[in-house]
Amino acid sequence: MMHLSRDEERTLAGEEGHGRQKAMELLVALGDIYGAKRLIPIASAQVSGASFKTIGDAGILFLEDFSQKAKVSVRASLNPLGLDLRRWRSMGVENEFHSKQARIVRAYSALGTEPLYTCTPYLAGNRPRKGQHVAWAESSATVFANSYLGAMTNKEGGPSALAAAIIGKTAEYGLHLPENRRPELRIDIESIPDGLFPIAGYVVGKVAGKRIPHITGLDLSPDEHKAFGAAMAAAGAVSMYGYSNPRHTRGVNTSEVEETISLPASELTECANSLGGDAEWDLVALGCPHCSPAELRSMARYLERRRPRRSSDVWFCTSRHAYARCPKEVAVLKKFGKVLCDTCMVVAPIERMYNRTASDSGKAMVYLPTLGKQRASFRPTRALLEAISC
Amino acid sequence: MLIRARTIKSGSGSGKAVVCSCPLSLLGGIDTATGKIQDGECESKGLSVAGRVLCFPFGKGSTVGSYALYQLKLNKKAPSAIINESAEPIIATGAIISDIPMVDGVDISLLRTGDSLFVNAEDGSVDLPDVVERHVVTNIVRNKGRILLLLRSSRVGSYRGLWAGVSGFIEPGESEDAAARREMGEEIGGGKVKLLRKIEPQRFRDSDTVWCVHPFLFEMPERTIRIDWEHEAFEWVAPKDVSRYPTVPGLQQVVYKLLGE
Repeated sequence: MMHLSRDEERTLAGEEGHGRQKAMELLVALGDIYGAKRLIPIASAQVSGASFKTIGDAGILFLEDFSQKAKVSVRASLNPLGLDLRRWRSMGVENEFHSKQARIVRAYSALGTEPLYTCTPYLAGNRPRKGQHVAWAESSATVFANSYLGAMTNKEGGPSALAAAIIGKTAEYGLHLPENRRPELRIDIESIPDGLFPIAGYVVGKVAGKRIPHITGLDLSPDEHKAFGAAMAAAGAVSMYGYSNPRHTRGVNTSEVEETISLPASELTECANSLGGDAEWDLVALGCPHCSPAELRSMARYLERRRPRRSSDVWFCTSRHAYARCPKEVAVLKKFGKVLCDTCMVVAPIERMYNRTASDSGKAMVYLPTLGKQRASFRPTRALLEAISC
Repeated sequence: MLIRARTIKSGSGSGKAVVCSCPLSLLGGIDTATGKIQDGECESKGLSVAGRVLCFPFGKGSTVGSYALYQLKLNKKAPSAIINESAEPIIATGAIISDIPMVDGVDISLLRTGDSLFVNAEDGSVDLPDVVERHVVTNIVRNKGRILLLLRSSRVGSYRGLWAGVSGFIEPGESEDAAARREMGEEIGGGKVKLLRKIEPQRFRDSDTVWCVHPFLFEMPERTIRIDWEHEAFEWVAPKDVSRYPTVPGLQQVVYKLLGE
């Protein structure tokens, strides 16, 4: 059982109100389940469960009730919604979905969460430092925080991240403890064919399962890490990876790992082919995780000398933060499709709009067929940009 | 019978048990409008959980399952309490946000659909007033790799005509070890035996009784024994062949646990 301070006991007894009591009950129950000894303060939270599509009517009613009883006490940013708050009509979102989504937005705003509506809070101001403890839901953000930023978090669920945000603490177990952050598996990647780093993440996730992999020969840009880790966390139950490359070794000792696997480039190509899906699509969806300003710039640079082909709808999904920073690039991209903020192809009600969707995201290859009921097709970013332009 | 349990969500609740012996997904596994279990793998499919004590090993599936419990609560179809073998975050979160008392650490195989259950998640216990727990010893006697099975006679009070180890009730005030030695003397005439191992008790449910079996392993230098009125035959068998004999509940598991480690 966890040891609680006198203040924490008071919260648990309900002396600070029903909302904080419930939040504390949740943290203590999870701590007991995982054998935590105590609660530790967190620098921030990332709360998932913001789209009506994922939480449904029960989620709305819970949040509406909870929002009258509690408020967050640390910085807590919110995951993407099921729609773009400004362009939902042109997206094709129905009125009823919009009004339910609006109730969720109001409830979270009463709870005090920061309306970033992105899976990339670390690109929109909520960027933890190395060694800081945070309580993040959203698997792609969690794996980026642990692996690239060096922050410490478990993959929280929506309610537990919210509870942590309200109390300002989380139970100390799992990836909050240094001894649980050691690699258990080494994966030697020979080389990654052009544009297939999301597939590399996908394959590593499948291979690693629940284990923390250490990947050698991984030389990626920050944005590539974002896509790589997102695919890994979606395809496996991985919330952290280690990596090294000739420039950057991080001095990790992998001599004690139980298994070493080498991943030839041919296996990545094979996996990309097996996820290739259809030759034609209703929708081309880019930006899972949300496009960074650098990615918006790079796509605009490629597209600005080309003309739209209009063979399918196109979504560029990004955060409102990145959108505001790239007005010129957004203007270019808008000629080719919709530049959507606050939402993405995974949590929008895409199943009511399209049947066949192509994406450059390994994470989307996991969720489009399930949550989105789509026939999904993987293509590298460049191939999709070529396909939508001439 | 009172079972100790760990509190996940405090409170108390009672009702008839609805038992699902496989992991349950709350999203899709239970119809939130009717409260009926619709998971095809669950033996209680079609039963309503409303006002019942829902018992299953642990949750599986989507994290949105937490909200499904909340929806059941709003629809007044929620279980009065939840019992798990080992709680995981989805069900625990759902129970907490929905104010449903919940405990874990309970062996679900001891519970039957229809049992009356009182879940006290304040002090961490589950009471089954209609079920009695009886403590017995079961001695597995071994000689040269074979173990002794005894055929229970028509004069004993229970499990007539089934094969068993050297077994019997622990008398009031008697220790398990003393009971084990006493049964060796009464049932097979004692002899030179050596206690090799004793393991933690194993529990088995049989109608309204939970047998709490205290297993002992003895080594015997010869195969000559003298049986009393409680048995009408004996055989020395290879441990792997126990499954071929009609035995008292749980004997195979007792043998496996005693010898398998």
